[in-house]
Amino acid sequence: MRKIERFLAVTVLAMTGVLTSQGALAAPVDGVLASENADLGVEQAPAAAISDLAFLRRASVDLVGRIPTNQEIDEYLAWDKAARRGKLVEKLVDSDRFADRWTIFFGDMLRIRSGATGGSALLAYVHNALKNDMPYNELAHKLIVTNGKANFTPEVGFVLGDNADPFALASVTSQVFMGIRIGCAQCHDHPFDVWTREDFYGLAAYFGKTRRQQSNFTNAVYTTEANDSVVMWPPLDDLQAEDRSQMKPRFPFETIAAADSPEFIKRFDKIVAAKAKAESKTDDGPNIDDLLAKSDDKVKKTTSNSGLDELGVESQAKKDIRSIDVKAALYKHSEWRNQLADSVTSPRNRYFARNIVNRLWKELIGRGFVEPIDDFRADNLPTHEKTMDFLAEEFVATGFDFRSLVKTIALSDVYQRGHAPNGIDAIDREVLESSFLALPMRRMLSEALFDSIVTAGHLFEAKHTAGRNEKTISVAVRVPLKPEGDDESVKVVGDGEDLANIVTGEKPEMKKPEMVAAGYQLEQAIELNFDELLTKKEDDLKLEAMQIKSAEELEAERMMVMERETRPGMRYRTEYVDRIIDDNPRFTSSMRMAAPAPAGHFIRVFGQTSREELGELRQQEPSMRQALMMLNGSLTDHASRVGDLEPMYALVAGDKASVDAAVTLAYREILTRDVTAEELETAKEVVGAASDLESGISDLRWVLLNCNEFRFLP
Amino acid sequence: MSCKGYKMTRRAMIGATGATVLGLSVRDLIAYAGSSHAPTAEHVILFWNGGGMSHVDTWDPKPGRPVQGDLEPINTTVPGIQISEIFPQVAQQMEHAALIRSIAGTQGDHGRATYNLQTSYLPGPNLRHPGFGSVVAHELDQKGDLPTYVSISGQAPRAGYLGQKCEAYYVSAPGDKDPYLAFPEGIAEVRGNRRLEVLEKYNKKFASKNDDPRLSATQTSIDDAVRLMRSPALEAFELQKVPSETLDRYGDTAFGRGALLARRLVENGVRFVQVNRGGFDTHSNNFPAMQAHGDVMDPALASLIQDLKDRGMLDKTLIMMVSEFGRTPRINDNAGRDHWAAVFSCFMAGGGIKGGQVIGSSDEDAMRPQDRPVEVADLHATLCHALGINHEKEVMTPLQRPMKLVDGGSPVMELFG
Repeated sequence: MRKIERFLAVTVLAMTGVLTSQGALAAPVDGVLASENADLGVEQAPAAAISDLAFLRRASVDLVGRIPTNQEIDEYLAWDKAARRGKLVEKLVDSDRFADRWTIFFGDMLRIRSGATGGSALLAYVHNALKNDMPYNELAHKLIVTNGKANFTPEVGFVLGDNADPFALASVTSQVFMGIRIGCAQCHDHPFDVWTREDFYGLAAYFGKTRRQQSNFTNAVYTTEANDSVVMWPPLDDLQAEDRSQMKPRFPFETIAAADSPEFIKRFDKIVAAKAKAESKTDDGPNIDDLLAKSDDKVKKTTSNSGLDELGVESQAKKDIRSIDVKAALYKHSEWRNQLADSVTSPRNRYFARNIVNRLWKELIGRGFVEPIDDFRADNLPTHEKTMDFLAEEFVATGFDFRSLVKTIALSDVYQRGHAPNGIDAIDREVLESSFLALPMRRMLSEALFDSIVTAGHLFEAKHTAGRNEKTISVAVRVPLKPEGDDESVKVVGDGEDLANIVTGEKPEMKKPEMVAAGYQLEQAIELNFDELLTKKEDDLKLEAMQIKSAEELEAERMMVMERETRPGMRYRTEYVDRIIDDNPRFTSSMRMAAPAPAGHFIRVFGQTSREELGELRQQEPSMRQALMMLNGSLTDHASRVGDLEPMYALVAGDKASVDAAVTLAYREILTRDVTAEELETAKEVVGAASDLESGISDLRWVLLNCNEFRFLP
Repeated sequence: MSCKGYKMTRRAMIGATGATVLGLSVRDLIAYAGSSHAPTAEHVILFWNGGGMSHVDTWDPKPGRPVQGDLEPINTTVPGIQISEIFPQVAQQMEHAALIRSIAGTQGDHGRATYNLQTSYLPGPNLRHPGFGSVVAHELDQKGDLPTYVSISGQAPRAGYLGQKCEAYYVSAPGDKDPYLAFPEGIAEVRGNRRLEVLEKYNKKFASKNDDPRLSATQTSIDDAVRLMRSPALEAFELQKVPSETLDRYGDTAFGRGALLARRLVENGVRFVQVNRGGFDTHSNNFPAMQAHGDVMDPALASLIQDLKDRGMLDKTLIMMVSEFGRTPRINDNAGRDHWAAVFSCFMAGGGIKGGQVIGSSDEDAMRPQDRPVEVADLHATLCHALGINHEKEVMTPLQRPMKLVDGGSPVMELFG
């Protein structure tokens, strides 16, 4: 299935010339951009393309969220020079980490919060959709339309994220999927734009019959459709209006008329038709899944069987037969939201494709055609409408293939441009950057920064022989004070706090972090198990009840814990005891951790948002907290230290030790480039100032990890 | 003003018609409205009791009414003012404290009410309003080396449109060593300092090849971090050396350590300290829970007032304890109380507040404000007044939308005597 879609997409791209012959990377988008810049009267020449190694670093961080390893550098340099960039992009978009990295992008955009009802399952679902190349229009359609039970129907996490509130969902749907801030029109006609309150209410009406329900028996949260809509017109604060009636849903945005059939829509239709045909051809006869699907289209829409591997399909289908009647009754399909999803995700709705193209352009190029990226309106026009629409139309024409869109941009000339030249004045810089002739400096995404430090420091695996780094750490324990304690023995009430648990509540799917020195929990990435989150445990009511607790229950539990800690009259004193740990930590990827990370966590400190506010974007500003975390944190410390199991060790200890070779390797592993002769001399001085070669190299590594060149992309 | 301009806003860039606008930070784009006045306080310690703290069982007892429940009122050092028996030590400090018993809240949902109490605004689409600590960090000069705004034991409201520089400095476990304030274990001072010197050299070299304005701000943040790491004021964070008698007086709980740390921080110049505590959402078994809260909070709050008084700091330090709403006077079937926003109370002391007084009152069953209703925004205006901040001042958001620091409201002037 996935292969077919990819094949089709690539074929169409090749036919339309987006993928040109190897080596010559100039893509049609560059032609469109050049002519548009000419139309705009921009005369400056573009900044020179970045070097091969800089491209390797930029593309690796952008597309898969980490810097390349030394081995990957060697592999890349061994490829034919003319073909290597194209080959790299192919490799990166096909990598397993591609879905991890772009789940961050979609998680931000869709405001997916693991702590929200159904949030973790939704995160896993989006990851799975990216992994399996679910077309973007299909993904958006499912999120808008699906009713079901939290965590069992993962898509419903989208609607539950805003508590199925029609007004919130109207704002979210338009801003997230179309880049239009109609939300301001909830209270007043839009001050800067054409949207009226009536438009807003018409959009909200699509969600008017949707209800968030909670089962008294299991506490399971689900959504279903009621008969009546809660969205009434005129609004309640319109005191003149005496009669209110249910608002009729109406899609307020302009779409391409059905009579018009531009080329890209014809191509889209062709892809859809070809896909349908290909699917029917690969059938080995009717399976139970298809029978189910064909028996009742309406019922099919209420069940979800996506997100399953080939082996899972059949057993899931059987399960569905057993539960389908219950589901159809309980989680009624929303006709209105289906209409909305059709309108939003239609190839005829230009905003839908423009929005994602603009967001992706911003992510990879550093600034959007429209800024802020979610504010398309008549008096905030795109700087390069033709370029944006060219990409948007290609995206539609490839059947909304996100991976291809990423590839298209990554292979363009514009993506490979350098920064504005040194010494340029601010206005010229602005002209160059706003014309995409030079790209602004971008700091790595917080997750990419974290994973890049882990990569550079060889921390995905243990790098010291077990026991080589035993260390005594001090652990806080609470001891009851004598007068109230009735026995002499020391009671250990708890050692340290587990931040992840405090903030998001205990999650059964979370792995326990390894023992770390107190205070460093803010640098642990605790991975969610996406596969497990998508495995349906239909019969396990107990677990379900555990997963979905009401706020009151959680509070009651918290109070119980608190009471235990602070019994009336009972006084405690904090004491510190020593424990020996093998300080040989492995760090897991931050890409799969529960999001958003707890406040104060590395990932948050470097810009991840709370994902609560609509339109809240990641900030690039530095802060003192960031500096403290990088200068003194355990991640940079561990990454700097040389482990006996990593290649560097042979260059700093034993008979093959060589300061030149060690410095060269450090530059490669950390900065993805070769050290210059001048830098080598400076580095040797730095290393020489230390007590021995090993600590000298670890000083150098610490500096390189902390320097601007590391965190800002080339 | 202390939010330094790390930020190069896009809008400033885009809007630039000449080089003069470039490089300006948000705070420089402030539109001033009105003028400030003489402050009565230099520091604020805000105790945020999350979950909705019962007003009847704390500051607004109703002796003889069925709503009173299991906890009895007690007399204080101020004739005529009674508070709950869970605060025997605080009762001895009442001459320094004032109570507002007529806060008229409007939000009964935890999220919305918390947002409202912490920002004075209601949550809306597209804009995050700053919490009060961030407003202070934005408006007042940093005093000394320590950050302007510190939040202890949990989440404080965020800086919203005021930007990252006005965010709180977090202390997750008061008294525990913050590992980020010193070089990693095993890195001696000399070696750590050498690393910093080399780093600065490397960053300078890099900046000389790339004069992008986005780079220089990183070095500023490093300089700030290093200044903090080297500051003698850091000792304020270390409670290990505090005599155990002192710790015992405050109670060696997260709350007690938080209050003690708050005192030490304001003594070292910190402008705004928020000490967080949860567990007030007492839908069931309200009375033992509130007794337990009292056992923890009473010694800490009373010791804090006493110590500040003894050290001559109480006059310039405003202490406030508040929650997002109160709880139903009616006791429910689970011996609990549910959410109640229509009226609730707050506790204030020091910082120019005239002690020994009660502002406003609730009706006989603590259901509604009776005299002198106080709006939520009035509390913010009051804090602004105490600190000499003009609460009507307008600040530009990054999208050039003018926003008032406080959503209306006016200071409760009676407090200041």
